[in-house]
Amino acid sequence: MALFPIYGLFKGDFVPHLVAVDTDDAVGQVAEKVAVHSVGRRLPARPGVPYRVSVGERTVPNDATLGEVIAQTGLKPLQWVVVDYAT
Amino acid sequence: MALLNRDDWYDIARDVDWTLSYVDAQQAFPPAWTGVGEIPAAAWDDWDETYRVSYRDYVRVQREKEAGAHAVREALKRANLFSKLDPGHIASSQLHMGTTCMVEQMAITMQSRFCRFAPSPRWRSLGVFGMLDEIRHAQLDLIFSHDLLKHDERFDWCNKAFHTNEWGVLAVKNFFDDWMLNANCVEAAMATSLVVEHGFTNIQFVALAADAMEAGDVDFSNLLSSIQTDEARHAQLGFPTLEVMMKHDPKRAQQIFDVAFWRSFRLFQTLTGTSMDYYTPVKQRKMSFKEFMLEWVVHHHERTMKDYGLAKPWYWETFLKCLDHGHHAMHIGTWFWRPTLFWKPNAGVSAEERRWLNQKYPGWEDSWGVLWDEIIANVNKGDMAKTYPETLPALCNITQLPLGSHWDRHHIQPYTSEYKGRLYNFDSEVSKWIFDIEPERYAGHTNVVDRFLLGMIQPMNLEGGLLWMGITPEVMGDDAYAYRWAADYAPAAKLAA
Repeated sequence: MALFPIYGLFKGDFVPHLVAVDTDDAVGQVAEKVAVHSVGRRLPARPGVPYRVSVGERTVPNDATLGEVIAQTGLKPLQWVVVDYAT
Repeated sequence: MALLNRDDWYDIARDVDWTLSYVDAQQAFPPAWTGVGEIPAAAWDDWDETYRVSYRDYVRVQREKEAGAHAVREALKRANLFSKLDPGHIASSQLHMGTTCMVEQMAITMQSRFCRFAPSPRWRSLGVFGMLDEIRHAQLDLIFSHDLLKHDERFDWCNKAFHTNEWGVLAVKNFFDDWMLNANCVEAAMATSLVVEHGFTNIQFVALAADAMEAGDVDFSNLLSSIQTDEARHAQLGFPTLEVMMKHDPKRAQQIFDVAFWRSFRLFQTLTGTSMDYYTPVKQRKMSFKEFMLEWVVHHHERTMKDYGLAKPWYWETFLKCLDHGHHAMHIGTWFWRPTLFWKPNAGVSAEERRWLNQKYPGWEDSWGVLWDEIIANVNKGDMAKTYPETLPALCNITQLPLGSHWDRHHIQPYTSEYKGRLYNFDSEVSKWIFDIEPERYAGHTNVVDRFLLGMIQPMNLEGGLLWMGITPEVMGDDAYAYRWAADYAPAAKLAA
């Protein structure tokens, strides 16, 4: 369990944000933490539509932990994590 | 006794130099400060400027300028013009004062370096006038802002801004620390005199003075015009420097030009683009920022490059795209993070302003309008919390401006480099290139996000950030028109339309 800073971009917004996430967070939680800075602020919400998270070219499963994603992808502090609507 | 004509003695006086005997030339003129590199000393004999001003002429003309500027200032102090100015114009004026005054102060140091270390006695001589110019500019900004303090304490930031950690000021300071204070004479003359002053601010001051006059701010217009006449002269020392460089080290000349052009353009776009296309009342706008850039700055740079044999920067296409979008990105960003500003930005998206933006920038609606729609809906619902940020934007490790802010939301993508085990992020492929050619120069620079993660901002939230930036409730940015423009989009207004 450790704080891990990422640059989170919600697709469609014009800027990524500094987002403090935890290595124990599930990817779905990471998506929520990224989305809160864009959805409903500069982008319309789409209630009920799940989020999809990408690191580089890879889509990562929502139930994996961030720690697992770091191990698999080599995600570094302040690397981009992109969140999008799944459909 | 008859005086000699100036041209009879000017060249002899200007060329006075010493043949060093007590110290080595390298000690008296360290290459780290001159920046001459491998260029032979004799090459600088060709360094020549066209202004040909003597000290006597200089003092006489400057005295007249000072008398003129202060006569207008004193007369206008009694006219109470400020109370009649548009809030959008006031924002432009405060932004200018806060981000410019201390750059003038820094330029005194740069010109002093020319006086002492420039590789040609002619250049050292011209540096004296440049130094005296910059002292005058910094003092003018301060006294004019001081006059306005009684109306609005935001003008205190003319002096204060560069002594704070306000994020925009840090971005400006980073560039000028790098290319004005810490640069050698050759780099500074090319980056500052040639690119920033001759290419951008000299023309900007003319345009800003005209806009200020149109807005009824005769005082500000008078100040800018007085300063611009000096800029036009001392900016000239960039050309002979470029000429020598193009003969002896054209590769380095091109690189300095390309780096300085991008970095100063991004700042210029942030400060002037937002003022021209959003803060200036729409009825007083003569041209868009893009039109202004294409007509004055781009045309000017293209001519300079052609005349001196420089190639267009390799990123020219990216630069032109950036002209369409970058200042819109910086505007929505600065407005959204408005509590971090020391001026009150105009959103500039009323129905009338939006029509103007769409006319000037045909892609504006799809790139930027949709983002404003969500903000407007929140304003009209009274959900103001959603119109404020809860974290920092991701920032570039070169320009210190937000990532993605050089283009639009459809083209945003990461540009990164790894250096000594650390990941660095950039706003564009151009900023990445700048870092990659000299990583050691930039790797230690910390932007606001870096400083946040280093624990320099406490508590680690917006409140702590504002405290760290020196933003107090009296000056904290808010919408210039108290959100009245959003009424154009309220359901009742839509029905009426």
